[in-house]
Amino acid sequence: MADFFLQALNQVGNPAVLALITIGVMFGIVGGSIPGFTVTMAILVVFPFTFAMDPVSGVALMIGVFVGGYSGGIVSGVMLGIPGTPSSITTVYDGYPMAQNGEPGRALGIGMLASFFGTVISVGVLVFFGPLIAGFSMNFRPWEITALIVFALTLVAGLSNGALLKGLLAAALGLLITTVGYDRNSNLRFDFGFEPLNSGFEILPVMIGVFAFSQLMSNLEQLSDERATSQRVDTKVAIPYRQILVDLAGQKLNTLRSSLIGSLVGALPGTGGTVANFISYDQAKKFSRHPERFGKGIPDGIVASESSNNAVAGGAFIPTLALGIPGDLPMAIMMGVLILHGITPGPLMFEQNPILVGAIYVSLLFGAVIMVICQLMLVRWFAKISLIPQQILVPVVLMLCAIGAYALNNNLFDIWVLFGFGIVGYLLWKAAVPLTPLILGVVLGNNLERQLFRALELDSNWLTFLTRPLSALFLALAVASVVFSILQNRKINRNLKAQGSDA
Amino acid sequence: MYRLTKDRALALAMLLLIAIMLVESGNIPEKTSWQPYGSALFPRILLSVIGVLAAVILIKSLLTQPSPTGAFWPAIKAYLSNNRKILLLFALFGLYAALLPLVGYIAATLGFLLLSLALLLGIDSRRKWTIILAVSGTLVPLVYVVFRFGLNVWLP
Repeated sequence: MADFFLQALNQVGNPAVLALITIGVMFGIVGGSIPGFTVTMAILVVFPFTFAMDPVSGVALMIGVFVGGYSGGIVSGVMLGIPGTPSSITTVYDGYPMAQNGEPGRALGIGMLASFFGTVISVGVLVFFGPLIAGFSMNFRPWEITALIVFALTLVAGLSNGALLKGLLAAALGLLITTVGYDRNSNLRFDFGFEPLNSGFEILPVMIGVFAFSQLMSNLEQLSDERATSQRVDTKVAIPYRQILVDLAGQKLNTLRSSLIGSLVGALPGTGGTVANFISYDQAKKFSRHPERFGKGIPDGIVASESSNNAVAGGAFIPTLALGIPGDLPMAIMMGVLILHGITPGPLMFEQNPILVGAIYVSLLFGAVIMVICQLMLVRWFAKISLIPQQILVPVVLMLCAIGAYALNNNLFDIWVLFGFGIVGYLLWKAAVPLTPLILGVVLGNNLERQLFRALELDSNWLTFLTRPLSALFLALAVASVVFSILQNRKINRNLKAQGSDA
Repeated sequence: MYRLTKDRALALAMLLLIAIMLVESGNIPEKTSWQPYGSALFPRILLSVIGVLAAVILIKSLLTQPSPTGAFWPAIKAYLSNNRKILLLFALFGLYAALLPLVGYIAATLGFLLLSLALLLGIDSRRKWTIILAVSGTLVPLVYVVFRFGLNVWLP
């Protein structure tokens, strides 16, 4: 353990990789601080730059973006009152009032340090639980892996804002996309006589197309709805270091609790920073001696929010690395990076690529340190950058997406794939279809089919999926997640009807 | 008389997709003697799942009365009049993809950035012109240099 950790430290600690982490962190903070840009978009834009890199450098750059992105949301949250990312919504509840009370530097400083502690604690959770879960999942055979993937997809679909049917539909569509082209038996499927489809769709252009177009166009639609309120913001912020150290000294328990909540939530498929954010804010309020002060600019609220959303970073790596199943969109893209570099995330990764696993741990830690230094030193600049209008951002990001899709294989057809799936993603978004299950389906489709057929080749009886205890458990959990989601949807609809009749 | 709504349009589009894919799945080679199941099984399972879900969405939407604002064609009309810029941006991107192999990265990207920034920002002041020219003029060569010399990727 210590040996491969030292080797990983040696690889990540070299100046070139550290520079990449720094670039990633800074880009992530910028991405996170621009309202509507999101961590996922920042990761997608940087992804193509990793093509020519070795795995450690590529992963280190992406982790930098990941860590920076989750902490970047605080800048616009505090300065503008608009969360830069959905995972920093509750940061606004206390960060913005504190800034309005004349203490923006204090709010930012508390948030930045809480982000740092959140990331570090989550790395501890990852280092402890990652190998344990990976060791346990080494016993999984094709039946268990198939059932686990089905469970992950139903869970993500069920958590899609009350749109269970559409979530399941999206997941199945994502899986269907992966069936285009030659299969593992070299049989051609769904090529429609069109040669470029023979090799199927690359994951990257599909993911970028579906996510980026819908996200960017929705940002533009919101602009035309709101008619952009031009806000004058004072970006001259000074961090009161002594004050924030005193503030954080009184928040040890809150920081630990919120970080653990963030790590746990991050490890669950389909949840992510937004859920972690709300749960830990709610818990901090419940445990507080003065809950009435929440929402008025109290350090407790900022600490709960920022430590939990950054702790998602470490937690989210647990299922991705240990089981090969990404829990959310940023992790799905991270898995794409690993696959692109010829590494298959999963339990075997801990045996076959221990140095890379160690490099992920070390990159997260270095990323956290670099993030807090960059944030504290360059906060004024990040505040200014967060004011870049969407009208400039959208064409630039679209151009980078096109070049990124092309650079994957030097193939112009991939730009058409990006465009086609961009239109599909946008139309699905307009029809209120959640896109996360679709993207997870695209990432997991090939593995699901491979495992399903391996299971059926070993034993052609479908009932084996129900007679093996773990496989049966995962399938039961999949059914339970669907039933739970149906019941919850009914409850929400009943409440909405009751509110409607009251009004 | 049933009206077209978003959900109904989605369900019908999915059912159409399934019909096309099912016909095309007939071209997938049959299983060989050593395979327990053929290559068409997995996509057909998925098509069945999508079919059932689309049918449930369609039936559910037919059983509930659509709200006046949920009607499809008025919503499309309102969308087209409110979001012309978004549609034009899609068209510009399509044009960009088509022109890339013909005129090369620099001319196509410069054209795309200039036109799309002008479309979204407007060109009614000198300041906006300056921003459009500065962003396009800086980014196009910068991205070229990063990809060509930093990442060793030849752009078209």
